[in-house]
Amino acid sequence: MQEATFLILTALADGSQHGYGIITEVQEISGGRVRLRAGTLYTALDRLRADGLIEVDRQEIVAGRLRRYYRLTPEGTRRLAAEAARLQANARAALTRLTPSGVET
Amino acid sequence: MTGSPKLERRYRRVLACYPKAFRRESGEEILAVLLATAAEGQRRAGLAESVDLIRGAIKMHLGLSRSPRPVRNAVRLMCAGAVLTLAALVTVLVTLSRVRAGYVQDPDAGPWHTFVLTQIVPVLAGAPVGAGVWLWLAGANGRGYSWARPAFTAFAGLLTTGLLIGFGEGGGEDALPSTWPDETAAAVLWLVGLVAVVLIYSEAASPYYQRRAATRAATPANGTGR
Repeated sequence: MQEATFLILTALADGSQHGYGIITEVQEISGGRVRLRAGTLYTALDRLRADGLIEVDRQEIVAGRLRRYYRLTPEGTRRLAAEAARLQANARAALTRLTPSGVET
Repeated sequence: MTGSPKLERRYRRVLACYPKAFRRESGEEILAVLLATAAEGQRRAGLAESVDLIRGAIKMHLGLSRSPRPVRNAVRLMCAGAVLTLAALVTVLVTLSRVRAGYVQDPDAGPWHTFVLTQIVPVLAGAPVGAGVWLWLAGANGRGYSWARPAFTAFAGLLTTGLLIGFGEGGGEDALPSTWPDETAAAVLWLVGLVAVVLIYSEAASPYYQRRAATRAATPANGTGR
């Protein structure tokens, strides 16, 4: 799973978000390192919808503009949890091996 | 932030690159996000932002956002086929003077203008058409049109025929000067086409074409089949 995909799914893990909300959440989660652009975001959202990992929760009109909220599907939740566990296991293995050699973590 | 009408117009112009069906479904939504993320007083779309949108539009046209990995790889190969076809055209143009110099010194060679008409002009005229066909079939396969697989297979068959004819002529009296990269380019293109055919008929690719056909049948009004 690509990092942008992982971060988008993470942004939706605790509730539905609209496009701009996802961008700000991803920026916050990544500590300001990842700033999604609109083209990248909507290509990813299109793919995630096609893969059945996210779905449209609801939509509303705010200041005359369409705002569509996305949420994780059960399959999206499962895939995100599996990927998070995999990354956690990898990170733990790396930290375990680094610690004895005196590298501060 | 709502953004200026001028900025909105400019964003709309860039968004026009996206497929119509995608614009209909998500155009206003993306526009709202673009305007919300625009800097205070911004009047025009930034270069990086425009490049990102155009890249997204190309991916949508080629179906790269939705197709499974084998189809995506096949589409990328087909795009590479288009690029290689145009590269062959550039090679012909760049090496033309060298080819001419070698050709006119050959006492057995026919008139240069006949060679140009029979060998050079077909390449110059055919390469853009060929590249267009590669790209057209890339988009059609990427978007999962059921006719796109047999159409590309037929195209790959034409490449095979061209390759065999090329090799057949290669050993004869009409052999081109040794600098001519025609046969190598044809062989590489043929290989690219062959791998793409294998990929679009792979087990993981077939359900995608079937699913897209079913989706189109369910929504006949949706012209681009998204």
